[in-house]
Amino acid sequence: MPAFNRHAMQPVPSLDEQARQDFVCSLRAHLSGRLMPGAYKVYEHRVEPSFRATNGRNPQDHDEVRKAMTLDPFYQFWSAMQRRSQELLWESVIDPTERQLPDLIETSKSLARSANQSGRGTLRLDPALPLPRYHAAVDIHLQPGGYHTEFTEDDVAAGVVYDKGINLYMGGALGAENNLMGDILLAYLRDKHPDFRPKKILDLGCAIGNSSVVWARAFPDAEVYGIDVAAPVLRYAHARAEALGVPVHFSQQNAEKTNFDEGAFDLVLSHIVLHETSKSALPRILGECHRVLQKGGLMLHLEIPRGKSIIEKFMHNWESYNNNETFSRFMTGIDLKAEALKGGFVDRDVLVDEFAPKLDVAQMNYAENFFWKILAARR
Amino acid sequence: MSKPALPKSRLARVAKGKRPQYFSDPATDKLLSMTLTLMEELSVTRERLDSLERLLASKQVLAQAELESWAPSAEAALERAAARTAYVERMMRAMHAELEEITRRGTPASDIDPLDAVGS
Repeated sequence: MPAFNRHAMQPVPSLDEQARQDFVCSLRAHLSGRLMPGAYKVYEHRVEPSFRATNGRNPQDHDEVRKAMTLDPFYQFWSAMQRRSQELLWESVIDPTERQLPDLIETSKSLARSANQSGRGTLRLDPALPLPRYHAAVDIHLQPGGYHTEFTEDDVAAGVVYDKGINLYMGGALGAENNLMGDILLAYLRDKHPDFRPKKILDLGCAIGNSSVVWARAFPDAEVYGIDVAAPVLRYAHARAEALGVPVHFSQQNAEKTNFDEGAFDLVLSHIVLHETSKSALPRILGECHRVLQKGGLMLHLEIPRGKSIIEKFMHNWESYNNNETFSRFMTGIDLKAEALKGGFVDRDVLVDEFAPKLDVAQMNYAENFFWKILAARR
Repeated sequence: MSKPALPKSRLARVAKGKRPQYFSDPATDKLLSMTLTLMEELSVTRERLDSLERLLASKQVLAQAELESWAPSAEAALERAAARTAYVERMMRAMHAELEEITRRGTPASDIDPLDAVGS
């Protein structure tokens, strides 16, 4: 597995806990790399022919594919194992986190104190902020307690668990600091707008600030702000950024309505966040992006492609049905450009782009030959 | 032997949100969950054994035959019993998850408390 940088806010796994995490990676590599392609094969060789024999036609959409595929014994078994691998993934990280939580909380407090004294990054929490339903109704990605549950005072557990969890989820392909998503969007900006030098950057739904840190490193003269609705991931984000020596300003806010001034930013971003929101929140978030952007400022949202053929669309929606990504399946039918226009952007300034970045990091196979979806707009 | 101290804060082990049923018989779902956990734990055990045997060999502490004839002390036996209890707990997580789901407040199934349901 590619290297994952050590910093002060990580729990140290025991020998057996490490072996569990390693096993989860091996299991998932097999399930995703070796067995998942089999699902396409059984569709082609078994499910589609059988559907045709019964109905006298091919399945018309990904919902019909879903009804047929979920009855297929290979798909059932693969899917059930993929689901269990996600549960095992979280369990393998929760055990060492729980054991070392008191120390991790102390470390986070001490990092926050020194940030406070040296005037570097900041953290502002708002305990009165209501959690949106799309965030709290189910635990996104099956992380027990989600991003938001506080198990104790000054809790950072959700952030600790999420950081190592997404590292394992991608078998290390997210990079040594889970930096891949930030790197992709940064590569896009440099490719399409090479002369753009942002001064004030807002990262929406920043969670543990892994992408916020990428932007703060790339533009050291810019002020970087990260917002999220969940307190424990923000506490962790602040401590982690300070442990890495990167100043970021984190605050607990809902991207649908922030307290930033109109035109406060010249670059507003999100990294695979929009598909975790909702039909009604999406245009409100894009409207808020429009409001906080100054004239000429840029909005960039990185999104996951939803597939082209109906079997691809069905398979891309696996996470929606099996990994608590409730809204993500609706993204298949959503016109992101139309949503941006609802938010106040003008037609000629909005682009829904595809991007296959050429990044320097060799292990980032996931980013190569994979077309990311990017919603780009100029205010 | 002192009992291992429980961590101050217990984190959740089960995600909120209905778990899909993959097979026509829900028992199959549980069996598969358990099988994968078992697969994981066997991998963990093999690695630990491998670490140990490599260490012992490199330090020239132990010949293979000694390992075969070894028996635990009373204290070691207690520690191993506690470890087995924790192991079984992990293996049975699919069952606990179902219990947690039906007893959690705010879900329709939580109206029935399984303890009250059987009467006193």
